Amino acid sequence: MNFLRFIMSSITVAEMEARKIRHDSTELWTRIIQPALWLLVFGETFNTIRAMPSGSFSYIQFITPGILAQSVLFISIFYGITVVWEKDVGIITKLLSTPSPRSSIVLGKSLAASLRGVFQAIVIFALSLLIGVKIRLDPFDIVGVFAVVILFAMCFSSLSMLLASYMKTRDRMMGIGQALTMPLFFASNAIYPISVMPTWLKYISIANPLSYVVDAIRSMLLVGTYKNLPIDILALTVSTTLFLVLASRTIKKLLE
Amino acid sequence: MHPDPTTLKASSVIAIEAGNLTKIYRDGIRAVNDVSFSVKQGEIFGLLGPNGAGKTTTMKMIVTLAKATSGTLNVFGINVFKSPETVREMLGYVPQSISVDTDLTAYENLLIFAKLSYVDKKERNERIKNALEYMDLTGRANDLVKRYSGGMMRRLEIAQALVNLPKILLLDEPSIGLDPSSKKQVWKRIKQLNQDFGITILITTHDMGEADELCDRIAIMSEGKIAILGSPTDLKKDVGGDIVTVNFVSSCPTISFPKEIGKIIHNNEKSIQILTTNGEEAIPLIADFFRSHEIRVESISINKANLDDVFMKYAKRRLEDGLYKDIRKTRRDFVRYSR
Ligand SMILES: Nc1ncnc2c1ncn2[C@@H]1O[C@H](COP(=O)(O)OP(=O)(O)OP(=O)(O)O)[C@@H](O)[C@H]1O
Ligand SMILES: [Mg+2]
Repeated sequence: MNFLRFIMSSITVAEMEARKIRHDSTELWTRIIQPALWLLVFGETFNTIRAMPSGSFSYIQFITPGILAQSVLFISIFYGITVVWEKDVGIITKLLSTPSPRSSIVLGKSLAASLRGVFQAIVIFALSLLIGVKIRLDPFDIVGVFAVVILFAMCFSSLSMLLASYMKTRDRMMGIGQALTMPLFFASNAIYPISVMPTWLKYISIANPLSYVVDAIRSMLLVGTYKNLPIDILALTVSTTLFLVLASRTIKKLLE
Repeated sequence: MHPDPTTLKASSVIAIEAGNLTKIYRDGIRAVNDVSFSVKQGEIFGLLGPNGAGKTTTMKMIVTLAKATSGTLNVFGINVFKSPETVREMLGYVPQSISVDTDLTAYENLLIFAKLSYVDKKERNERIKNALEYMDLTGRANDLVKRYSGGMMRRLEIAQALVNLPKILLLDEPSIGLDPSSKKQVWKRIKQLNQDFGITILITTHDMGEADELCDRIAIMSEGKIAILGSPTDLKKDVGGDIVTVNFVSSCPTISFPKEIGKIIHNNEKSIQILTTNGEEAIPLIADFFRSHEIRVESISINKANLDDVFMKYAKRRLEDGLYKDIRKTRRDFVRYSR
């Protein structure tokens, strides 16, 4: 397999998504509503009543990285639904009948998911600045946050595609997505620190990839110390690669 | 009407070669059952058969979208199972159901597809332009495809399969859902592609008219097997020939009819049915014959053998819808008589 061709095909598949968004970006904006509510309603409220021990940071500061990670999680874990829909209308058939290697199609689709993730990140950044959340605006850190967002979206969208290869219907994917997102979200450090959790939940949250993502974003956006960052990113890279490889192998099952 | 495949298309290169190809789906359905055939370079080869015969499955195995359970499959000598990407590079595929992206414009559909097919950047725009022109879509190239009619989408599908100038074009029921005039247009394009660019074409259809019009050779599939394979002319001969019916003004005396013209398969006082290999050529001979015997003929009609008869004979389908029932019945009697 020619590496250059492989990369070109992946970018083309992502370009396809970008062009679709350019024609109709409604979905992109509706996807913003939920994280915006979390930030503006939940965040602001709990910020004023000071119910959470968020350490040296205000609660709204604490929750911003969590909301960002959560919204990217939602987008990418439901990305398999988009792929199933594309299978139903024949687009996947068409893509898989081109000479492009299947792994490049999967990589391209995961890049497409991260494109949406990046958009979420931008809007959430803008929102938090607008309501005056104090975040570190170091360019290096911002780039780092985007890199984590991209990796994270790739990771969970390829997991979603892997699941979609077996689930094959939108309904089942919807069910799976819902069954996964809420536990992942609540068993993580996204909206409360691990320290307030009951012991059993603490163990779960340690195994929860979302916790690492939130941790990574938080360290760049708020703390400014990068002690855990290498481990966070390593864990994310390894699982992304694993899911991408697996999904590339299974994607053709989607057509069966 | 048809160019003789042996004179015009003398290529001996094998484009697609399937040997004992079998596909068993997970639920145990033998969609394709031990099928062997080869498609020659430059020919239009038709896969015919009733619903569920295994046509689409066969095509999908060639495009590497379905994995064969057993058997061999080569495209221009390249093993499809071992080098799927190399094989896909030589193919253009139009699936049975619409598969263009309706959220993009026609131009974008072609652009993305050209990129994924690694069409040289320098040639890309030219190819896209030509493909659009070829399929009469230039004027609407920048419209979102969701605003297209079904027929336009179908044409876009074919355009899309053309941007990488494939060596082999695989068309799964290309004229499905097209009105008669668009159908004719698409047929014309398909023939042109075959003649102008020498593209080998594998086509599946239920439409016998289409098969007769386009194909150099056809294989009729039934329940996962190829029931018969040959040129339309040969297959039509197989079910008999043309039936010429002669009606007389007054009752006809018993006569002996020359074998060279045809064979009498039915007669009564006022009419006679003659089996001929070529009805058009036989009519003047028949007319002359009766004239020379001073028997007054009121009318002569001809019922041409067509692929429907072949289809009905080999597709093992007892269609009760009666569309071709009458003709078929006559034909069946006729075949029985002529044996
Ligand atoms: N994905 C699948 N899983 C299981 N069985 C399948 C699948 N696709 C096709 N089949 C079965 O395989 C057989 C052949 O189907 P195929 O689609 O190849 O027929 P076809 O000749 O193209 O029919 P049609 O003219 O209706 O398009 C049918 O019995 C069908 O039910
Ligand atoms: Mg079919």
